[in-house]
Amino acid sequence: MTSDHATPATTAGHGPGFWAGLYCASIAIIATLRITDAIPTPVGLTLFVGAMALLIPLVRAAERRSAAKGCMNAVIVRYNRRMLTASMGYVLGLGIAIALWNAYDLSGPVVFAIALLPTLPTFGMIWAMGRYLVEETDEYLRYRTMLAAIISLGMVLATGIFWGFLEMFELVPHIWAWWVLPVWSGGLGVAQLWMKVRGE
Amino acid sequence: MNNRLKVLRAERSWSQQDLADRLGVSRQSVNAIETGRYDPSLPLAFTIADLFGLPIEAIFTRD
Repeated sequence: MTSDHATPATTAGHGPGFWAGLYCASIAIIATLRITDAIPTPVGLTLFVGAMALLIPLVRAAERRSAAKGCMNAVIVRYNRRMLTASMGYVLGLGIAIALWNAYDLSGPVVFAIALLPTLPTFGMIWAMGRYLVEETDEYLRYRTMLAAIISLGMVLATGIFWGFLEMFELVPHIWAWWVLPVWSGGLGVAQLWMKVRGE
Repeated sequence: MNNRLKVLRAERSWSQQDLADRLGVSRQSVNAIETGRYDPSLPLAFTIADLFGLPIEAIFTRD
């Protein structure tokens, strides 16, 4: 046990809901503009990266709220910074990879290299999750995170297996394997919500 | 497992946050232990016992 656990702080400024709403609205507007070809790909990519900056006040607002409830510590702050950095790297890497793929007739090792652009930041996310479990000194918070991860893993396995057979029998379209990460991340959120509802 | 954490805390007029700060854990953890939703590990149970100056079995009891 360490002194990583901060004492409660007061909340100030906009709440996380405000920033989350602003972020989602921005993404929706940019996506609409891009889908309708109102803006070219480079402009859309630039705007997407710009919208990612809204995640910074969102994370800070969430941290302020958690600190006020006495559930914030230095390990969670480090985890949030790492995830934020990896998420921005992911959007940037994905954008550059798609732009290069669309602009040039690529093949071989170059394709391998551009596939790494969005992949490496997601490895960073997985590393950040692992480091959180290693660094978290609060056993209850660690227990909750591990439980959520296991529940989420169950969801990914169940969904993946069911989808795989539906796909094999040609009932649903093919989806790319990288979807496991967003599905697992979504599962983490569902698991945390489920534990909250159960009062755990 | 049952525990007397809430009573012991109240005797000292400590809030959950006060106790959490003394133990070096989150307030969530103290709340979860107090309400019986989470049983602490042996090292944390020893730390709690040391803090209150009591043996573990005086704080934690079987159902």
